Amino acid sequence: MSDMGAAAIAALDYDAELMLRVKDGDGTSFGVLLEKHRASVIHFIYRLVQEQAIAEELAQEVFLRVYRSRSSYEPTAKFKTWLFRIATHLALNWLRDEKHERGQERLDDVSADLPARQVSDRRPSVEQELLYDVKREEIRRAVAGLPEKQRAAVLMHKYEEMEYTQIAKVLGCSESAVKSLLFRAYETLRARLAHMGNT
Amino acid sequence: MNCPIESREPEILVAYAAGELELETARALERHLDGCAACRLMVADQAVVWRALDAWEAPSVSPDFDRRLYRRIDDGVRLTWWERITRPFRPMPLRQALPLTASAGLLLMAGLLLQHPTPVAPAAPAGQIVRANQVERTLDDLELLRHFNAADTDQSPHPDAM
Repeated sequence: MSDMGAAAIAALDYDAELMLRVKDGDGTSFGVLLEKHRASVIHFIYRLVQEQAIAEELAQEVFLRVYRSRSSYEPTAKFKTWLFRIATHLALNWLRDEKHERGQERLDDVSADLPARQVSDRRPSVEQELLYDVKREEIRRAVAGLPEKQRAAVLMHKYEEMEYTQIAKVLGCSESAVKSLLFRAYETLRARLAHMGNT
Repeated sequence: MNCPIESREPEILVAYAAGELELETARALERHLDGCAACRLMVADQAVVWRALDAWEAPSVSPDFDRRLYRRIDDGVRLTWWERITRPFRPMPLRQALPLTASAGLLLMAGLLLQHPTPVAPAAPAGQIVRANQVERTLDDLELLRHFNAADTDQSPHPDAM
């Protein structure tokens, strides 16, 4: 990409501008980027790998890589796209290694760790809590059952509200391929979760 | 608007459920939905999926996440050049590292030997033969001198006779 193109992206994308400051040795800007993207990166990886400790460990690696590659950083795309590209790459690699080591049955294992409940002032009844747990487990398993790329595409689309072009850049495929991935993923999820509309 | 399902463009229904359509397109689709049960059902099911995914909360982030990250960053910064070089080998167990190191050492030695072959030492027997010949010749010379001396003595008058 030309210097003018990089400058244009940096001007449009404030995060890219912050990253350029990190490149120039400004540690505070790295702190701002961490603060802004920490939760979304961890939550994204958590929903992909479905283990909180692993998600945090991988997220640490994501930010470590961002920091270590600061000197060679060029704003060729939106910062978030670059960040999620690293996150997706690490998480999918981990999933492949994990699948290789333990087999696919782990994803269907009901005893896998579940997210901690958010503290709420309005305490739900035991029955409500049980219903919530069952529902959450059903959603978790439905998402876990998706092929890896479809899963990553759905999570970026649904929770990160990323555009098709951004998702395409993260996954290294065309925009039409992303649309197709998403449609197939939602088709599967509709088949698995549509009954929830009756409850 | 053509039926998205019949025209094989059902992605528009997903986009509608996600609230991604522009107002004008959304209104046109809504007019279509009024008369198309299949599309209406799909949008309703997609909305259920959307709400279900909304309900899937992720756990909160550990409070020491940043502290752990900055410690790792500091560890990386403090590494000396030697630590940076040896770092990739550190997690390797000894039983894996040992054969690798041994192989690398052998290869290095082989390379050095090929590049600087040791000078060939002169064959020992040849040297020994040369030296033996010299000794033999010297002994012969000494023997000859002794004979000369002896002959000399025989021809010279006896000191007593003088």
